[in-house]
Formats: sequence, C-alpha cells, structure tokens
Amino acid sequence: MKKNGLYSKEEKIFQDKNKLYRAHSVKQIAYSTDPRDFGQVAKSIPCQEACPAKTNIPGYIRCINEKRYGRAYELNRGANIMPGVLGRICSRPCETACRHGAPDNGVSVGICHLKRACADLKSPMHRIIEGLYAPTGKSVAVVGSGPAGLAAAHDLAILGHRAVVFETMEKPGGMLMYGIPEFRLPRDLLMTEINNILRLGVELKTSQAVGTHITLETLTEEFDAVVVAAGCTKPRLLGVEGEDLENVYNGLDFMKAVNASNRGQTPIINETNRQSNRGLSPIKNVAVIGGGFTAVDCARSAIRLGAEEVALYIRKTMDDMRIDETEKHEARFEGIGVESLVQPARILGENGRVSGIAFVRTRIEKTGTPPFKKSVPIAGSEFVVPCDSVIAALGQAPDVHDVSDVLTGLDKDTPATGMKGVFAAGDFVTGSTDVISAIAGGRRTALAVDLYLTAMERKKTVVRLESHATTDRPRSYDFIDRVPMNTIAMDQRLADHTNEVETGFDPDQALEESQRCYLCNLKYEIDPLRCIYCSACIDVAPKDCIKMVETIPVNADGTYGRYAETGQWDKVVSITIDNEACIRCGQCYAVCPMDCISVTKTELIQMDMDE
Amino acid sequence: MPNSDHYVIIGNGPAGNAAAFTLRENDPDAAITIISHENICFYSKPRLVKYLAGKVDEDALAVKTMDEYRRRHIRLRLGQTVERIDPDSQSLHLAHMETVHYTDLVIASGARERLLPSMKPYADCLTFVTEFNDTTGLRKKIADSTRFFIFGGDLVAFKFLKMLTDMGKQVTLLLYPKAFWPHRLTKDMQDAIVKNLAPTNADILADDDLDTIVPEDRGGYWVTTKHGVRTQADLVFSFNGLIPDVDFARGCGLEIDHGILVDETMRTSLDNIFACGSCAQIYNPDINTYTTSIGWPNAQAQGKVAGLNLLGEHHKVRPAGRKYFDLEGVKIKTVWWEDLEKDEEA
Ligand SMILES: Cc1cc2nc3c(=O)[nH]c(=O)nc-3n(C[C@H](O)[C@H](O)[C@H](O)COP(=O)(O)OP(=O)(O)OC[C@H]3O[C@@H](n4cnc5c(N)ncnc54)[C@H](O)[C@@H]3O)c2cc1C
Ligand SMILES: Cc1cc2nc3c(=O)[nH]c(=O)nc-3n(C[C@H](O)[C@H](O)[C@H](O)COP(=O)(O)OP(=O)(O)OC[C@H]3O[C@@H](n4cnc5c(N)ncnc54)[C@H](O)[C@@H]3O)c2cc1C
Ligand code: SF4
Ligand code: SF4
Ligand code: SF4
Repeated sequence: MKKNGLYSKEEKIFQDKNKLYRAHSVKQIAYSTDPRDFGQVAKSIPCQEACPAKTNIPGYIRCINEKRYGRAYELNRGANIMPGVLGRICSRPCETACRHGAPDNGVSVGICHLKRACADLKSPMHRIIEGLYAPTGKSVAVVGSGPAGLAAAHDLAILGHRAVVFETMEKPGGMLMYGIPEFRLPRDLLMTEINNILRLGVELKTSQAVGTHITLETLTEEFDAVVVAAGCTKPRLLGVEGEDLENVYNGLDFMKAVNASNRGQTPIINETNRQSNRGLSPIKNVAVIGGGFTAVDCARSAIRLGAEEVALYIRKTMDDMRIDETEKHEARFEGIGVESLVQPARILGENGRVSGIAFVRTRIEKTGTPPFKKSVPIAGSEFVVPCDSVIAALGQAPDVHDVSDVLTGLDKDTPATGMKGVFAAGDFVTGSTDVISAIAGGRRTALAVDLYLTAMERKKTVVRLESHATTDRPRSYDFIDRVPMNTIAMDQRLADHTNEVETGFDPDQALEESQRCYLCNLKYEIDPLRCIYCSACIDVAPKDCIKMVETIPVNADGTYGRYAETGQWDKVVSITIDNEACIRCGQCYAVCPMDCISVTKTELIQMDMDE
Repeated sequence: MPNSDHYVIIGNGPAGNAAAFTLRENDPDAAITIISHENICFYSKPRLVKYLAGKVDEDALAVKTMDEYRRRHIRLRLGQTVERIDPDSQSLHLAHMETVHYTDLVIASGARERLLPSMKPYADCLTFVTEFNDTTGLRKKIADSTRFFIFGGDLVAFKFLKMLTDMGKQVTLLLYPKAFWPHRLTKDMQDAIVKNLAPTNADILADDDLDTIVPEDRGGYWVTTKHGVRTQADLVFSFNGLIPDVDFARGCGLEIDHGILVDETMRTSLDNIFACGSCAQIYNPDINTYTTSIGWPNAQAQGKVAGLNLLGEHHKVRPAGRKYFDLEGVKIKTVWWEDLEKDEEA
C-alpha cells in the first residue's frame, strides 16, 4: 500500500480514470421528499442513521480523502456544531453501526478519529460558515451551558432570536468543562468551539443559577421563551452502610475537583466533598464503583493523582459497560482493573476513614415482560477488598427542583413542558445520555421554540440525489487495516494530569483511514430495462449483494421492505443491488457489459421551506 | 426412528470432545458435528511443551484418532472457523460463507493468549503458544536459537523456562506478577520463585516491566525493561494467562462477561445453547469467585455435563477445588489447573 502520501500504480490509474469520468459526465441533480428515498438513505448509510445529529459521515470522510479538511469540518459543524470536541470524546454510536464493522467486513471505520483529523488539520485560516436569518426581535433564555444548551442557543441565534444563556458555574460547557477530564479534551480547543457559538451574538451569563439567583418564572416574564438544559447533577447514592465515611467521594464531585485544577497544579480532592481537619487523606488504593464514563474518568484521574491500585467494580458484565472499546483499552493500559458481577454491600472504616469495602458477587437474571436484565446478589458470596478511598460513580439524575418547583410535564420525547413557553433539552429531560445526543436534543428543541415563536416551519429535510460517474475507490481499499490512534507514553500521562493522551492523526494517517470508508452514500442501481441478465456482476460480487428478486414489498410508511428473493428464473422480475449488503467495491460497475449499473450520490440536506 | 436432531459442537478440545462422545453414548441416532478452526485431530495441549522441546513427536500429541470419530459417526469439520451465531434461525455462519444449522449447540471454543494492553504495540514481536497452530516452525526455531526472553509468570511460563534451561538455552524471565490474572503473585511468592529458580541459571527479573522490544534487521530482538535492562533475544515469549476465545459469540444475545456465562448445569442465557471448558465463565461457590480457563480435567468434566443436560438431564458440575501446582519447589495455588505432564512422569 501507499505510504508517505505516495500512491501505488493501481491507485494512480484509478485516479486518472476518475478525473476523466468527472470531466466528461453531466451531473444530474434532483431533490426528493419521497419516503422511499428517505428509507433508502436510512438503510444505506447506517453510520449517519445511528448518529443522533445525522452527520453526513461519508460526505466528510470523502472530503478528508481529497484533503479538503475545512470543508469536512464544516460538513460536521453543520450537523454536530462541535467537531473538534466530538472527534475526541463522542460515544460513537456511528462506529457501532458502520458497515465496515459488520460481521465478515472487518473493523468499523475510525469515524470519530477522522472527525478529529479534519478539526486538527484544517488551515489556521479556516472560516466558519453560518447562514444567518434576519433578526426576529424575539428573545430566549437558555438555562445551562452544556452541549444541549449551547446547541440550542447556537440554532436560536442562527434563526434570528436573541439567546441568553444562564449558567451556575463560572465557566461554560457543562460536563465538557467540569466532567470530562482535560487529558481527553483540551480546554483551549473546547473554548474555541464554544466561542464559535458565542460569536453569533449568544450572551453568556455565568455564576447565575436559575432557581437561586433568578427564578424560572422571572425568565418566562422577561423572555419570549425559555429552554431548560440543566443536565443531570444529582448523584445517585450507593445506599450502603459507610457511605458517609471520609474518603468516600461521589464521582461527579471528584471530577469537578480534578478539573478545577490547571496544568501544573495538583488537584485537591477531599476539600470539595467534606471539610477534613485531618489533613490530606491518601488516595493510594482506590475502589471506583460504576462502569460508565464518569467511573472510568475517575479511575484514570486517580492514577494521575498518584494512586497505586485502582479498580472499577461493576454490577453486570464487561459487555454491559457503556463506554467504547478505545476507552476500555486505555483504562486497562493505564493499569486499571475491572471486577465484574459484584455489588457493594458496605463500606468499612477505621477512625472515620475508609479501610475497605465489602462486596457480594452477582449473577445476571432476566425478568419481567418484556424481559430485562437484572443483577442479583449471590447469597453468602461476600468478600472484602482493602482500600483507602471509594468513588461512587453510579451516574446522575436531573434535579428539577433545583431549577424550579413549578416546572412539570417533562417528557423525553417532546421538547415542550407543562409550562407555556418553557421547553427542555438534553440530559435534563432524557436522563444521562452522551454529548452527541444532548447536541441533537438541543437542536431539536431550538426548532420547536422557533415554531412556537414564529408559527412558521422554516426548514425541511430533503434527499439530494446526484448522478456520480465513478465509484470513487478501488477494491484494494477494502483490505486496509484500521489506523490506530497515536497516544503518549505512560510517563507523559503521569507527568501532568492535563496532558492529552491521544495526539491525533497526521495527514498520511488521515488519508489512509479515509480510504477505508466504503462511501455508503453512493447508491448502486441496476437498470432492469438494459440488463441482459448475464450475471457477470453476480460472478464478481464479493458479497451476497446482487439479488434476483420476485417482489419488493412496500412498508406502511412508504419505504421499501426486504426483497423477496428467488432462485427460479421464470419468477425473476428484476436483478437488483441490495444496498444494505453492498460494500461499494465497484466490481459490478466495472464488469457490466451493458453499462447498466449506475452510481448516485445520496445526501440528506436541510433546505429552507420557501426555497 | 431416525431423528432430525443435529448437535453441533464448536471446539475440538477436551470439553468439546467430552460433550460429543457423551451425546453419542446417550443418543445413537442424532447427527453430531464438531467444528474446529485447527487442522489437527484432538491433541494434548499440555504436551505441546514437550513437543516443542523435541522430546515427543506430533504423533504423541494425539488424544483421539480419526477412526474413533468415524466409528461413532461424529462428523469432524477441521480447519473451519465459526464467525457468528444466529440463535433465531439456529444457525452458525462459517468464515467460508457456509451456514450450518443446529438443533442444539455446545460452545467449547477454549481460550487464547492474553495480550497485555501495554504490549499491543509489540504484538508482532511476541511468540505465544496456545495451540498447535502456533507451533508450526517453532520447534526448529527453538532448536536453532540460543537466547530467549520470557515475559510473564503463568504456569506455562515456568514450564517453558524449565524446558529451555534443560535444553541448555540462555533464558531471561521477566516475572509479571499479574500474569495469573485476575489473581496476582504476592511479593513473598515472587521472592520464593526467584530464589528457587536460581539453580536453573536463568536471569530472573522481578519488580520491573517491559519497556520496548525492537526487532533487529538480521532477526532477533533487543528487549529493554523499564529499569533499563537491555537484553538480546532470538525469541520473545509472552505467557500471561489465557482469555476465553468468545469474540465470535458476541452480539448474538448470549450473556458474556470475560467468558460465556453459564450456570452449574452449563446452560447459557439462551435456550438450546450450552458452553463448557475454557470459554465458559462459571461461579465457583467453594472459592467464591467466577472462573474461566479451568484446565484440562475440568474442561472434560464440564463437557460431559453439558452433553448430558442437552439431552434433558439435570446434572450439576462439581466445582473445581483448590489445586496446587508445584514447580521447582514453588507452590502456586492455581485453583483449577493440574500439572498433567508432571503426573505422567511421576
Ligand atoms: C465525567 C463524565 C464524563 C463523560 N464523558 C463523556 C464522553 O466521553 N462522551 C460523551 O458523549 N458523553 C460523556 N459524558 C456525558 C455527557 O457529558 C453528558 O451527557 C452531556 O454533557 C449532557 O449535556 P447537557 O447539556 O444536557 O448537560 P450538562 O453537560 O450536564 O450541562 C448542564 C449545564 O447546566 C448547568 N445548570 C444546572 N442547573 C442549573 C441552574 N439551575 N441554573 C443554571 N445552570 C444550571 C450546569 O452547571 C451545566 O453547565 C460524560 C459525563 C461525565 C459526568
Ligand atoms: C501450552 C499449554 C500447556 C497447558 N498445560 C496444562 C496443564 O498442565 N494442565 C491443565 O490442566 N491444563 C493445561 N493447559 C490448559 C488446557 O489445555 C486447557 O484448559 C484445555 O485445553 C481447555 O479445553 P477446552 O476444550 O475448553 O478448549 P481448547 O482445548 O482450547 O479447544 C478449543 C477448540 O475450539 C476451537 N475453536 C475456537 N474458536 C473457534 C471458532 N470460532 N470456530 C471454530 N473452532 C473454534 C479450537 O480450534 C479448538 O479446537 C495448557 C494449555 C496450554 C496452551
Ligand atoms: S458526531 Fe459522533 S455519532 Fe455522529 S458521526 Fe460523529 S462520531 Fe459519530
Ligand atoms: S463504511 Fe463509511 S459510509 Fe459506510 S457505514 Fe462505515 S463510515 Fe459510514
Ligand atoms: S459494488 Fe457491486 S459487486 Fe461491489 S459490493 Fe456493491 S453490489 Fe456488490
């Protein structure tokens, strides 16, 4: 394969042919609102479908392939607003869905790492692009400056409303600033992307807690609408004996204390939780209870604070941990153990301080209808683990009363609440999720607020279809191994708790990883009127991707259902490409003697209603 | 009356074979198939050490011959890999795109090497010995080489150390206290090991860790430890325990922790699917912990129970008790392994 940006002979020929095609083809573009096209896009581009913000993933990966990093960044920003942030910490539902990771297809594309690559590699002269609507004269208060609040404020500002964000803490960003540690998300990068939002005229009022400094009712009087995006701040408790001992921390407080200290400073953790008059307590041997984002960040931070033994204790199985594989790997790399199928029974103490923790082992049971998974303690299985600190990171729940006692009618499926003109977004209404879901939620709420304020639907989603005279990739790309992320060595990680662990891709690595993407936005079709049923395409197909079908059923929502296949020639009504199985290898396209296979680029785009 | 049952067993080790032969004993008619990705008949893994030392031939590894399967009408599919289980259609997808249907499934896919996360960048430089496939060409390489580096501290590591020093080779062992993962060697144990291994003339490094492994152009490696010890080696072995080989079973709805979770009847969380041997994770009340990779005799016992219960019986596997593995005077509590080859010699 190519190295150092050089192309192999095969690729060179392929690229020259590509240029030729492009020069001689006439582009045909159509816009569609046909449910069948929406259904096709959803099934064909699984990564985009899985992304809560519906990021055009193959679109931006192709731009990276063409070294148009700025364009790739803007394609991202148009959907997810903070690509540099997400490229580092997104929970990556898209990668779980990626066709390249399907059984028999290998490993998913490094979608997230590529997102980071375009943010890192774009020119320092890069201009952000925003299409601003005329001012409406309306104003909206946003409670909370986490990803949901910021996304809502961003979209409201674009739509021409005055957006004012109220934030309890000193700095904006919510969990991006106070939860996620700096070794995963550098704060200068975070502030750059937050400032890109504030530059649109969004006003930020920090150290202003709604419910304490100003009431929700006042906001409803002073503003035309209010969006509550106050996140999840109320920690779930262990509910076991010993929870009030010194050196028992809740995960979010622990992370806040770690994140309050800057580069070069040692975080002081036990002052935040309870005032100790016994001086600094040791954190040498740490038991972290929980297996989500917060737990893993606490464990990795504890290692950086000098802890010698750190282990996570989870109730269910390793497979049930809600974090992605890379983070699991990094945690293990840093020496953090995981003990699965256990739950705490009580925390043991000596002189008011933690000395150990008693666990019981659990087993998994399925109960209820529909069946759900539960961990059940095994009788007589108690055992004790000595430790000097316990971090309870069981997650957080929303604290509605902290914001207002009159706010009711919260429903995770609708942005509106029980109070007129008050909307909700993000983790506050959905419970703990992830950053990309919070951003998508914030955007959805902004549209609902806009409709409420203007009584107009201003945007619609359409499918853009463009004829594409080439497959954009040779078959050899299918065999490229996933490019691993570059990371810093263990001693550098321990040197300062803010040192970023992952260092990103260089341009060659980004190019190589971008080549792995099948470009599932390219739709392959056979024209049945020109097809002579020679089955040459079936012979070269690497998958069970070209099918002889009897009927194609139509679903109730107007989309196509699964093909009814047949092996009997007399029943074949069409030979057709299954775009769910197709890996866009281009073999059929190259071999068809009748040139009856076409490639169409399909994209979901936002259009103005009156366009 | 011929029946249409098709029992499929993934894995041709002691667990899979015990299950298959138990099934045949109790059900003369059903179709029984064993699928294994290795291309060799049922063989003894514990004896691989002697094989590599050149003490026994390939023939001596065999536990069962082809003929025994033929006589019992057990179909052996060797050199075939299961990539995915589809419990809804009760079928297995094999790597060569074939689909195999089953009425009942026994997963006995064993365990594979544990690559420590810190060693991931050096994976290409490491040699593992977990199955016969790994030994291709290795026997000759060992005979031709003089300097060895062993990283680890599980039982196979010590067997290898002894094998190599008996062969007069120059060996450095970097003792990794977490090789017995999830158990770890205590400081006292490490000290005792270092002391007792002194007569072997091997260099034993403790309280240190691997830093880098750099391949040399002419073959061989430079190994550097965190404390700055630099050693040249022709081969670098990693023996840090085994982990269940269950990736192909993920995502099909089976409850998987480290291994496939089973109860004491070897039933998994899905109907018609049993798991046994090293790939299964089972709670052992005697020692109050979950175990995987439970050694040869236990794999056999579990395979038998799985076979019987698949046919509708309700046997419980007897929990494996504590066992001590005695190596050059160092007693290591293994909980489950037995030193099979040693017993034979005695
Ligand atoms: C330690 C940790 C690590 C995480 N890691 C990841 C990760 O790697 N990837 C990922 O996708 N997700 C991660 N998450 C989850 C993710 O951060 C959240 O899902 C996301 O931030 C939710 O966004 P939000 O805007 O709804 O709420 P938040 O980010 O919680 O923001 C809410 C904001 O509202 C403010 N606020 C609350 N009450 C008031 C009030 N009364 N008045 C004014 N302001 C108020 C808060 O101070 C806060 O700034 C992590 C979470 C934690 C805690
Ligand atoms: C070098 C060495 C020395 C050992 N010494 C001892 C000892 O002294 N004492 C002791 O008690 N134990 C010892 N063991 C451990 C012992 O060999 C194992 O505990 C035992 O083999 C486990 O049996 P099993 O049937 O569960 O799996 P295995 O014997 O590992 O067999 C697994 C089978 O599954 C097949 N398989 C796996 N995945 C797939 C797939 N996807 N598709 C198709 N087939 C698949 C493999 O081909 C193989 O046939 C040793 C192991 C090694 C490697
Ligand atoms: S924003 Fe997150 S979920 Fe969406 S495409 Fe990007 S990495 Fe995937
Ligand atoms: S191969 Fe590319 S376009 Fe297809 S699902 Fe994966 S990332 Fe998306
Ligand atoms: S491009 Fe053609 S041959 Fe290749 S996977 Fe798709 S349908 Fe099959």
